[in-house]
Amino acid sequence: MAQSKFFILIVFFFVMSVAMAQAMDEDLLQEKTKEVSKTLRCAVCQSESIWESNATLAIQMRDIIRERLIEGESPDEIRAYFISRYGDYIVFKPRFRGINILLWGGPFLLLAIGAFFLHRNLRKWTTQSTQTGPEHLNPIDEKQRKRIEAELRSLK
Amino acid sequence: MKRFETWHIFLLAGLLALVVLFYKGLWGDPTALPPVIISKPAPDITAPALLEAKNISLKAHLGKVVVLNFWASWCLECKEEHRFLLAIQKRFENNPDFVMYGVNYQDQEKLAKEYLQIHGNNFEHMVDEKGKISIDYGVYGVPETFVIDRKGIIRHKQIGPVFGDVYSNIVENVIEPLLNEPA
Amino acid sequence: MLVELGHFSVVIALVLSFAGIITPLIGLKTRNATWVVVGRRAVLSTFVLITIGMFILIYSYLVEDYSVKYIYATSNSKLPIFYKVAGLWGGHEGSLLLWAWILSLYCALATLIHWKSQPVVMPYLILIESIVLTGFLMLILFLSNPFERIFPVPLDGKDLNPLLQDPAMVVHPPLLYLGYVGLSIPFSFAMAALFSGRLGEEWLKATQRWTIFAWLCLTCGILMGGYWAYYELGWGGYWGWDPVENAAFMPWLVATAFLHSTMVQEKRKMFKVWNLFLIILAFSLSLIGTFLVRSGILSSVHSFAADPGRGVFILGFVTFMLVLSFGTLMIRAPKLRSQIKMDSMVSRESAFLFNNLFFLVALATVFVGTLYPLAMEVLEFQKVSVGAPYYNAVFMPVALGLIFLMGVGPYIPWRKSSSENLKKLFVIPMLFSLGMTGLFFVAGVRKPYALAGLAVVFFVLAAIFLDFNKLASFWAKREKSNRFQGFFSAYRNNPRRITGIIIHIGVLVMVVGIIFSSMYQTEKILIMKPGEEVNLQAFQLRMANLYGVKGVNWTGQEALFDVYKEGQIITQMHPQKRFYTVSQTPTTETAIYQTKMGHLFVTIPEVAPDGSWARVRILHNPLVLWVWYGGGIMAIGAFMNIFRRVRKNRMPVTDPAGMVPEVSANIPQPTR
Repeated sequence: MAQSKFFILIVFFFVMSVAMAQAMDEDLLQEKTKEVSKTLRCAVCQSESIWESNATLAIQMRDIIRERLIEGESPDEIRAYFISRYGDYIVFKPRFRGINILLWGGPFLLLAIGAFFLHRNLRKWTTQSTQTGPEHLNPIDEKQRKRIEAELRSLK
Repeated sequence: MKRFETWHIFLLAGLLALVVLFYKGLWGDPTALPPVIISKPAPDITAPALLEAKNISLKAHLGKVVVLNFWASWCLECKEEHRFLLAIQKRFENNPDFVMYGVNYQDQEKLAKEYLQIHGNNFEHMVDEKGKISIDYGVYGVPETFVIDRKGIIRHKQIGPVFGDVYSNIVENVIEPLLNEPA
Repeated sequence: MLVELGHFSVVIALVLSFAGIITPLIGLKTRNATWVVVGRRAVLSTFVLITIGMFILIYSYLVEDYSVKYIYATSNSKLPIFYKVAGLWGGHEGSLLLWAWILSLYCALATLIHWKSQPVVMPYLILIESIVLTGFLMLILFLSNPFERIFPVPLDGKDLNPLLQDPAMVVHPPLLYLGYVGLSIPFSFAMAALFSGRLGEEWLKATQRWTIFAWLCLTCGILMGGYWAYYELGWGGYWGWDPVENAAFMPWLVATAFLHSTMVQEKRKMFKVWNLFLIILAFSLSLIGTFLVRSGILSSVHSFAADPGRGVFILGFVTFMLVLSFGTLMIRAPKLRSQIKMDSMVSRESAFLFNNLFFLVALATVFVGTLYPLAMEVLEFQKVSVGAPYYNAVFMPVALGLIFLMGVGPYIPWRKSSSENLKKLFVIPMLFSLGMTGLFFVAGVRKPYALAGLAVVFFVLAAIFLDFNKLASFWAKREKSNRFQGFFSAYRNNPRRITGIIIHIGVLVMVVGIIFSSMYQTEKILIMKPGEEVNLQAFQLRMANLYGVKGVNWTGQEALFDVYKEGQIITQMHPQKRFYTVSQTPTTETAIYQTKMGHLFVTIPEVAPDGSWARVRILHNPLVLWVWYGGGIMAIGAFMNIFRRVRKNRMPVTDPAGMVPEVSANIPQPTR
């Protein structure tokens, strides 16, 4: 008797937890599906992700992502699956390897190099100009001084 | 006389590279798709048959040469290639090591059955439920045709209809040699 | 017959624009101004002739002359009159004609406006503009002729692409072209400066308004395109990093960098070569953009039909322009080396330099991202795609850096700044930003990117506020008025600065909109039957009904949603799925409900054949309108800049001797 009650209890909890998990995770699941689908290209559309596209293939792919997420696969594993079937073309986010590293790192590298040269040149320019302090300029003669004063007066 | 500075060279090289890239790019096709799954093991299929109430499993045919053709009743090019598919089946149907399946893609069962009635049929078809088979095979659209060897490796993928030269190429240079390979 | 007349007038325009190349050249060679006058007449007549061609084409649209192939392809008798006119730029051929027309308009206006004030520039301006115009007219007449006839005459047209049948179609492309092509004026002035060797600040002063006008049009064009995509394509976003969007964005980035760095040259007479380089780059990018869009080299939602022949011609033309402009720059640059003198590493000059660096890195990101797939294909590597996830990861940090600089650059002094000075300027904004970000953190904003963005926005906002406050109190004290009036005095006395800061405020508003609408968007896709309900955020949507509807040139289904909030019905929404019968194209029509600060957005991308269910996509886009409010503020700032009052009592205009022939006064006469 006790055994069967215990058994019923276990089944009950199991069913409950599955139901709960599904109810609770529905929003999260959509969110994750969206996250993954936004990184995959709709192969039959023009530069749209399968999340945005309404093509049948895109809808089917979204369903597959959803199922694989439920089975516990990670987004990277799901992407790897699609890459193995459709090639690198299917992901909007080129994998960080090989020549693609240049794509990912290039802008930052450029920023670093640019900043370095800019900094160096700025140093050069500022040291150059410190020599041209007021004492290095041509002294103004009386005529110029008067003109400047007249102009200053006229400003007021 | 010198006048060539480093940035000149960078700029010129950049411009030249750009123009070459654009020129070469003009002759490419931005919509062309790379074949990916060739020479990889064929994903297994278990799917309901279209015409009978039974399941078809690809695993059961390991050791045979398998031809998979993805088609749909709404697809115009499929109609053009259909009689060539019938011809392939007719040519090899007596060979026990040959199997051919049609995979009905993004279609309605009723329309698919009508299509087969109108255009004739001599091989078995399965239903691609929710696009699972086609996505597993990396199919972009129909028609696409795959040839799988005795070891279960995909050896050939044909995007677009099988007719004319493509037909003779597939029959003579793909299927026949594969049938002649030892199991 | 009329169409042939239009065709003929464009042919004459080509001949005249060719004359526009030859005459200024002869004028410069023989030092005879009469030739330049002839060139000017050629340019003005070109404008008139292309206008005639365009109006004839528009007239043929209105009278439904489907014997013209292009009209047959982009119009239909059932099309509302509005779109019949806009159909002119609904395809490749006609939009090129619009491009050429705008170019000739700009050129005519520039020669009229600057004829007296910039006589030295005129021959070069006419020359450069005519070269560009000749290229485009040749492309139009030889490779994509909108006047071509077909026989037998079709009974009706194939219809304008339904996606283009939208009010935005009437203004979006012309605005973009006004922006793209508008850059040709500062470009021509820059080339004139290079050729003539007059490399002072004159050309910058003369073109400042042209540049900002082009920038304004480009900004509005891009933003309007975004809004159009937002409600028409129905996926809930406004920017997809599509190659063609990028093609419009790249010249914008460089033009913006140029607008900033010219200020350094105007104030400090430095970076002359750099500014020339930037404007040449900006216009080159608008030509390259044209090539990318027209050649069909990249796959995009916007692409026109591909045709390698056309592509080769445009590429040849673009290459010619690149070699001409950059080549001249390289040959002339050594003569322009200005002695660069900086007083301090920390000064507004150096802030501008970093601004330029960031803009160029941003440009490089977009450029590389756009062309990388093409390069991989040409080099025969694996074919790849580069899309939004890439730009989000790489472009966004750079953009954040730019926005940060927006709070620094305008407020540190020219020449030199002490650390004490800096402390005074930036401690308060830092603290304010920290405090506000903390507040948002407590309020539940937890995404690191959103927090970083908000921190930067508040930093800049505080810096702007402090600066405005300082300016206002300065002028209030000086004019013995209150701060409010003081602020207006500040505006009157330095309109360029104040309008610039207004544009910055617009950017901040837009950034807030982008942060919230992209990172806090909530979305659901599901299948619904009439009677079913779904919750999104605080809203409940009930599909009350699903039924057939019919328009002039389409049929479709419409869903009726009752929208509830806290149990109260607040609105009804009617998204549609349309099918345009003539062109056999389906579209989705979005239903948008404006909530307090954002949008509730519903589409039905798929409806069951028997009408029993629909696939429904609902989105909540918080603060999405701020993106365009920000754009509006930016546009207002740019407008105020263009139409600012010119301060008088500054260098009286020296009127050199009279009317037309005094161009000659500035073209050195040959000594006999």
